[in-house]
Amino acid sequence: MNHIPMRMHVPSLRPQKLTRRAMAKQQTREKVLQAAREMFIERGYEGATIRDIARAAGMSTGAVFASFTDKPELFDAILSEDFAALVDPMQDAATTAPSAREALVAMFGVAYRMHAAQLPLIQAALAASWTRTPEAEQLRRETMRPVRALVTEALERGVDRGELSQRFDLSLVADVVWDLFLAGYRPAAFEGLSTEGQTGRLAERIDLVLAAVKA
Amino acid sequence: MASARATQKQGTRRKVLEAARDLFNEIGYDETTIRAIAERAGVSVGSVFTTFASKSDVLSQVMEDRVDALYSELERVARHLRGSVADRISSVFAIHYDFECRRVKLFLAHIAASFSPTLEATTIPYGRNTRFKTMLIDLMAEAVERGEVRPDTDLDLVLDTLMAAYAWNYRLAAQSRADAAAMTAIMERQVALILGGLRP
Repeated sequence: MNHIPMRMHVPSLRPQKLTRRAMAKQQTREKVLQAAREMFIERGYEGATIRDIARAAGMSTGAVFASFTDKPELFDAILSEDFAALVDPMQDAATTAPSAREALVAMFGVAYRMHAAQLPLIQAALAASWTRTPEAEQLRRETMRPVRALVTEALERGVDRGELSQRFDLSLVADVVWDLFLAGYRPAAFEGLSTEGQTGRLAERIDLVLAAVKA
Repeated sequence: MASARATQKQGTRRKVLEAARDLFNEIGYDETTIRAIAERAGVSVGSVFTTFASKSDVLSQVMEDRVDALYSELERVARHLRGSVADRISSVFAIHYDFECRRVKLFLAHIAASFSPTLEATTIPYGRNTRFKTMLIDLMAEAVERGEVRPDTDLDLVLDTLMAAYAWNYRLAAQSRADAAAMTAIMERQVALILGGLRP
């Protein structure tokens, strides 16, 4: 899987012509995001202050606030970038797999591998996901939608191939599988479980769930 | 006989835990300061710190104390559960959703805090509740004995899978203000799915 970049840096979509002012604004935004990412990984969500981030980006705190209203918004922007960057490699891994089981294990393995270098960020994201505002949550769900869709597609292909029974509500299966995927970050963050360990652990759980859905 | 000093310490502890429980649920864990807890409890900030190591320590004690009553009740009820193993296990989860939804913001704070990178040694994070897990394992082991579940089943694996589904269903409470009944309905379907592949 050498097509997966180690550090995810997704250039934002740019309209063809930007005024100089808009370009400068865009550059500031990207500089802030880059500095914030490093600070969050190094110090965790609580530990990284806007002041630290501004200093690391070489600008004033005011300039940071010109791009982002607050720390949660800045944090969410980084997570959105990361999940957007995951869609293609996860899809590649899933579509080349021979079965639904292999597809799910492969695509989640990609996510675990990508996130391994920035577990503190993921940990903070999971902690924050329980206490977000509804607006922030809505935004987050929009970002995750393409990744979530990959799970359903992998299951649907399994049904099409006749591996999985049609009698099951695939969205229920997809939800449980997704929960298991997220739950797999905890042993990595707290018990130092390796990416391979995480993926193997998830595979066992996916097998359990798919055993009930076998055609 | 407890000394006057020990009695006083107990009193402080109780007052702090009650104040913290209400504040966490009313305004949220992050927003609650030790100072606010001390104020509400009518004790000094210093005395909070002589009893507890940190805010997360206070939270884990609040949660421990809360579930004591729940489990004495549950352990009594568990013996009288009837029906399929899926029915029994779903009932246990239903009772938990019911209980935790009474102070759902408090419970969400408890889950969120368990992801904190700075857990103190004295803190008992969400997910370490052994009584909950023992109860579910026992229900499954009985189902194996009844011949309802295959004997070669890895019960710890099933338990862990059930617990992941149970815990993440709380995001419905966090995100769309779902109530206990809604979460229970979803959990029932998830339990049926997870246990569905274990028939002999």
